[in-house]
Amino acid sequence: MSASTVMVVLYLLLAIMVVAFAVRTIRIAKYPVHLRWELSPVPHEKGRGAYGGSYLEEFEWWTKPREKSLINEGIYMFKEIVFLKALWEHNRRMWYFSFPFHFGLYILFVMAVLLVLGSIASLLNLPTPGIGLVANGVPFLAGIGYVLGGIGALGLFAGRLFSQRLKPVTTPSSFINLGLLLAFFITGVLAVFSTDNFAYQATVFAQAFVTVYFAGEVTGPLAIHLIVAGIFLAYLPFTQMMHFVAKYFTYHEVRWDDEPLEAGSKMEAEIQELLQQTVTWAAPHIGADGKKNWVDIATSPPAEETE
Amino acid sequence: MMSEKIRVKDIGKNPDRNLTTIRPEELIPLPPPYDDFEEQPDWKELSKGARENLVCNLDGFVAVSLPKPQNAEEEKKYVDQFVDGMKKLLSRENNWTFLQPLMLSLEYCIGCQTCSDSCHVFEGSGDNEIYRPTYRSEVFRRLVNKYAKPGGKFTAALNGADVDLNWTTITRLAELAYRCNLCRRCAQVCPIGVDNGLITHEIRKVFSQELGWAPKDLHEKGTVLQLEVGSSTGMNSLVAKDNVEFIDEDMTDITGIEVETCWDKENADVLLLHNAGEIMAWPENPGAFAIILEKAGIDWTLSSEQVGYDGVNYGLFYDDFQLARIALKHAGTAKNLKVNKIVMGECGHEHKALMTIADRVLTGEMSVNRESCLPFLEEIVFSGKIEFDPSKNDFPVTLHDPCNIVRNLGIVEPQRRILKYLCPQFREMTPHGVDNYCCGGGSGFAVMSVNNFTDWRVNIASRTKFKQILDAFADQPGPEVQKYLCAPCSNCKGEIRDMLHYYNALEKSSITYGGLVELIVNAMVDVKEPFIEWEMH
Ligand code: HEM
Repeated sequence: MSASTVMVVLYLLLAIMVVAFAVRTIRIAKYPVHLRWELSPVPHEKGRGAYGGSYLEEFEWWTKPREKSLINEGIYMFKEIVFLKALWEHNRRMWYFSFPFHFGLYILFVMAVLLVLGSIASLLNLPTPGIGLVANGVPFLAGIGYVLGGIGALGLFAGRLFSQRLKPVTTPSSFINLGLLLAFFITGVLAVFSTDNFAYQATVFAQAFVTVYFAGEVTGPLAIHLIVAGIFLAYLPFTQMMHFVAKYFTYHEVRWDDEPLEAGSKMEAEIQELLQQTVTWAAPHIGADGKKNWVDIATSPPAEETE
Repeated sequence: MMSEKIRVKDIGKNPDRNLTTIRPEELIPLPPPYDDFEEQPDWKELSKGARENLVCNLDGFVAVSLPKPQNAEEEKKYVDQFVDGMKKLLSRENNWTFLQPLMLSLEYCIGCQTCSDSCHVFEGSGDNEIYRPTYRSEVFRRLVNKYAKPGGKFTAALNGADVDLNWTTITRLAELAYRCNLCRRCAQVCPIGVDNGLITHEIRKVFSQELGWAPKDLHEKGTVLQLEVGSSTGMNSLVAKDNVEFIDEDMTDITGIEVETCWDKENADVLLLHNAGEIMAWPENPGAFAIILEKAGIDWTLSSEQVGYDGVNYGLFYDDFQLARIALKHAGTAKNLKVNKIVMGECGHEHKALMTIADRVLTGEMSVNRESCLPFLEEIVFSGKIEFDPSKNDFPVTLHDPCNIVRNLGIVEPQRRILKYLCPQFREMTPHGVDNYCCGGGSGFAVMSVNNFTDWRVNIASRTKFKQILDAFADQPGPEVQKYLCAPCSNCKGEIRDMLHYYNALEKSSITYGGLVELIVNAMVDVKEPFIEWEMH
């Protein structure tokens, strides 16, 4: 198939992905500051994170310096992201498939980065160790990534089909997500094993892609795989599969957000503004009349119920 | 496994029968001598009046006491209000307080069911589908997706759109929102960080803040009464003062230590804020506090200002506005007295409401120093100001971790350091600390006893805890050894009282319960007679 066609389709799909991804991420980030809702353990609590303790264990905590350990937080995140530790501890049977699936994805991500860097390196005529790494690394990573990911996705798909436990919370989109992923892995395996010198073909395409140079050919299986990958990436930001972005926020901005309010802080100013908003909840005891704001309501007694 | 398979959409179907039926033989078994369910008291039948007039078609138990609708118009009115409420819940103006955590939890659950195994209600029930942490969330999520989000009807098909929006759904959902203790153990294990406890909390808010539906024990007899009279116990400040005076006299008689509680002392170091329920139900607890503070030479006071003598804040469980009203009164009391700090008494939800949840709304001059009694007591116990003889506490002691203090606030070790020092036979439960199980009384349940709800609480919500307590004392299970369950939280004690009473555990196993300060006073050298009474309160 002509590389140009594949490239155009891919540019379009990736554009959708980038825009949707950004919109959704910004939306999460832009929610207003919320009330504290932290949950132990909070790993950045220095010396206490391991057993779930917090600075509130200190006598007159506000007189003491708050000691945070970003290293502990980093270690926690590393284990969680790379090994899916929470799943390992609390849902082992799912982990057996979810881990290879996610690990396969990570490997493929590394492979894609390597391809792009390699093609840039060769375009710039940089010395060759990088090129060798690409030539050997890409097929190796691709082989492992697609197979691991495929096995994992297959297991998860089967779980969705057969597990009584998962059934109540399994929706059509669970199947579409995993179905697309399966298609991605299977077409990937086919592309790797049916393409002569996969690394070379992939590098040539990556170079064309990076330089927007419309020429050349890609083999059928590789073309199909690239388009499936593009469709998947464009679809991803519209689904729960954005959980890896959400997870950053659920941890950092909810579970681990134990920042006390400081007088005169930016947060205090933001909250004072939020408290000025008009409330329209309708239950009688709230006493909202379309004009009162949060402060008015919180500083007045419950309105009489009129039945 | 339950014999019946209940699907998410069933919540809106078949209003004439219960969505599920709880059978005692399906609950998880308890160790002997509690293993024969036929020996336990029978469950209370709903009265004929309740069956005829109240919504009772969830699991046969009734916590919210919703009257059945008069006609179809009334049903429709409430259903429409519910949709309005969902929309307000998703708006910045009306729900900035929890919007980000709520949206994250609604939009990113991947449905892995990891949370189920962590839930004591689900486990205690023998895995009843409707008590799964995800069941209620999924019902709400599907309704929100379809009816409260722009373009919702369009995408609903992909996300599951099969829950009928009708009277049956909303009333069962209101009732089901009171089958979760909001303990957040499920949120701890969620590999994505989704919080089904929070979703339950937000569902309760829609019902309270928009439709005016909340259990009477939390609303009319809880926050409303507290704001009106001063305390959810119904005591006004004069009665509270009188009662504390009696307690002081009692304490002086029992211990020989002169105790006189100081009221409304300006510029004191400490404003002690008890859950006023202690004054009525467990007077030895505020009494023990007074003894310790006196002996340690602390400059402390109680307040008689309206609401300032009752640390209870049930708003935490169901209504942001009631929560804020009460929290502002608490902070205002401290401001008026110009104290250095408020010290929370042994009450878990008071800790959480005032120390963290209200933290960010106590802006400007309302910001006051707030401390848990646990590090405060630790400081006293290890200060050398009081002499102790730990051999006076030489009986088996175990510790219950109140979720609101431990899992939610991360106050784990101070109470343990005290117990390890003062109680030679202290032993942990499994699991404990931030992984503990809720007592079953969390989120207001401990004070909810209408209809047949107590039976649900002690049999299902408290079941896992009761098993844990028995296991902690498994080395000396019999009634010949007196055992003490330390629960530094009023609501936990309320639940534990009902649980131990229901199973007759004082007689069968000699397990009594109480707070932490009682153990501290019991170990004081200056207190000649035993302070702890081995009988059921
Ligand atoms: C582009 C990247 C990712 C994709 C496409 C993806 C996709 C998926 C899918 C489809 C599921 C649901 C499986 C099922 O239905 O059974 C899932 C679940 C999960 N993902 Fe991801 N994921 C990605 C990245 C991540 C990352 C970075 C993390 C960790 C930080 C993560 C953690 C989890 C966890 C804990 C689950 C729940 C367990 C399970 O259902 O297997 N994911 N992911």
